[in-house]
Amino acid sequence: MKLSELGVGQKALILQAAVELPVKLFEMGCLPGEEVELVFAAPFRDPLCFRVQGTLVSMRRELADLIPITEPYVA
Amino acid sequence: MSPKRALRVALVGRPNTGKSSLFNRLTGLNQKVGNYPGVTMEKHLGLAKIGSNTLAEVIDLPGVYSLHPSSDDERVVLDALTTASEAERSDVVVGLADGTNLKTCLFVFTQVLDLGFPAVLAVTMVDEMERRGAQLDLPALEAALGVRVVPVNSRTGMGFDALREAIASAKPSKQAPFFQPAGAHLPWLQKKQECIGAGLTYRAWLDGLSDPDFAAEVRESGRGPERARADEAIQRYRWVNQWLKKVYHYDPVRDRRAAARFDRFVVHPLWGSVLLFSVLFVLFQALFYGSSVPMDAIDGGIAQLSAWLNAALPAGFFNHFLTSGLLPGIAGVLIFLPQIALLFLFIALLEESGYMARVVFIMDRFMRPFGLSGKSVVPLVSGTACAIPAVMSSRNMESARERWLAIAVTPLMTCSARLPVYALIIGLVVPNTPWIGISLQGLTLFGLYALGFVAALTGSALLNRWVPQQKSAPFLMEMPPYRMPIGRNVFTAVWTRSKSFVVEAGKIIVSISVVLWFLANSGPKGLPNFSAEYEPMPIEESYLGSIGRGIQPVLAPLGYDWKISVAIASSFVAREVFVGTMATLYSVDGDDIAPVRERMAEEINPSTGEPYFNLAVGVSLLLFYAFALQCMSTLAVVVRETRSWRFALIQFAAYAGVAYLAAWSAFRFISYLSI
Repeated sequence: MKLSELGVGQKALILQAAVELPVKLFEMGCLPGEEVELVFAAPFRDPLCFRVQGTLVSMRRELADLIPITEPYVA
Repeated sequence: MSPKRALRVALVGRPNTGKSSLFNRLTGLNQKVGNYPGVTMEKHLGLAKIGSNTLAEVIDLPGVYSLHPSSDDERVVLDALTTASEAERSDVVVGLADGTNLKTCLFVFTQVLDLGFPAVLAVTMVDEMERRGAQLDLPALEAALGVRVVPVNSRTGMGFDALREAIASAKPSKQAPFFQPAGAHLPWLQKKQECIGAGLTYRAWLDGLSDPDFAAEVRESGRGPERARADEAIQRYRWVNQWLKKVYHYDPVRDRRAAARFDRFVVHPLWGSVLLFSVLFVLFQALFYGSSVPMDAIDGGIAQLSAWLNAALPAGFFNHFLTSGLLPGIAGVLIFLPQIALLFLFIALLEESGYMARVVFIMDRFMRPFGLSGKSVVPLVSGTACAIPAVMSSRNMESARERWLAIAVTPLMTCSARLPVYALIIGLVVPNTPWIGISLQGLTLFGLYALGFVAALTGSALLNRWVPQQKSAPFLMEMPPYRMPIGRNVFTAVWTRSKSFVVEAGKIIVSISVVLWFLANSGPKGLPNFSAEYEPMPIEESYLGSIGRGIQPVLAPLGYDWKISVAIASSFVAREVFVGTMATLYSVDGDDIAPVRERMAEEINPSTGEPYFNLAVGVSLLLFYAFALQCMSTLAVVVRETRSWRFALIQFAAYAGVAYLAAWSAFRFISYLSI
């Protein structure tokens, strides 16, 4: 599943991406193995705002499309 | 460190960690706002008393998530810390960490420690920490980091004595390095180290990975610069997580749930739009009407002072220069202060509370095609009141490129100084008859507002496409938690902005208005008689009149006679001067619009025998004023904000070109239709 497909309030774990992602993402704490939750989304679901490592990080959908995640475990 | 120079202290931390609050607390109003060379980014410097007789120069570096620059704007932090210049090198680094969010803040701080700086970690938001039940074992964290950790509260000043003392006695960490590049990286690191002659490995690591010419060497290790940085991030977070588990306990589930609910309301398609629209509406009203009382007071005060000076001083050149040249120039600077102060008050409240980040978030999708982010709605909306505070408000943008785009297009928004010109011309050429129940005059005015808005966005989209993009950061933004604004921060923001406008843009505005006074009050025949029986020089005999007549052949294809040309030349001071100059040229008393309009309506075009101000001339003039950058104060502010006369002059020329083309095509097209 992709990070962009997460529903509001759902949580999942970040997986290792096959493509090269912006390093800033890692430096902000979005690392493989970390828990991620979609906290809220802008109109048209773009951009999206996630909670990772206790901070809220917002990104555009095109970036969230590149990040693989596990199946969501809190509906 | 040489004994002559003060201790230099750099503040480094993630955005939203309370860095400016700590800076404001430490330095008070002893601040100076400058620019980093090459980028339009603000550089905040201040002086702070550290010991009984030690003064420190504090630099508030922009907030970053990592010392590795992801964009040119972020580069200034690395450059400031690794500069080779002895005079600019920092002696001590104060790291900032938000006590309610320690984990991600420690990342960049361990990078600083690995650079070998004597350092202190200031833990901010301790009041919030206590309220939410977060527990931090300070001695254990100090032991882990190997430097002093000081909890501070920038609202009350708690912990600042300890912080000052810790800065004065700061030492490099005993525990560093927290990250040790190894294996395949060692060959290129050694090479880089030889190049820069630095002792520390981490310095070479930072340098090597951000140096594009060195990328090939790094790639030989089997990891590109990006992969190497990612490896570092994983290692550092592993260390931070391991340690924090032992020293920091915080479980904010309930707070988070409430905040998330509120955020879902704020970004809701309907309620969020209603909220944003209301905020912008209040902002617009405040700029338009809230500032009118202090503006009238400034106007009245200067007029009284001028009358008093005029009576007190003997009549003559000096008196006239003072009361008609210099004083109006100074008034022209002060008159903008209420709007500037109000706008920055609003912006500071929006930024400090955390709402601005949500505005960026909501508007991002809509502004993206134009190369702008959600933050640019503030300059654009403010631009409908006045371009001067609006251009200044672009300072709050982090991305230099976006800031540059916003400055380039904001003056296209229909500002209030265009209104008198529009009112005069629309009343003259647009019939006051309803068209299916809608006033044609009102419709034209609405169209002009829409035109300004469309022109600004189109201009931005075109510039964004034409001007090659340098390395820019991906859109990744931290959402700050909602916080009560700190009065001191709000006041400091308003104060430093207002001061820099008066001092820096002010001197340009006063100089230009003195030059224009001279051009309007002297001519080829010399100076007028400034004595008691002073007669003002007829404008057509002045140099300004000559300039107007001089440019008339150029403006003739737009349908303008010499009078309009002179009025255009003189309205470079400010657009609304057009009305006053037309009144003077048509010998109408006073600056009111109605009598001038009546007189202009009687004007007959000698070659056609028809009224001179027909629809073609009118629309041509409206379009000219919609586009032309006829405002010396805006130019002065653009020079101040971009630090570039070249930028301002190119902008002026480009606006003039578009204005000319639009006015010319409209004039030709309408003239052709009416034949």
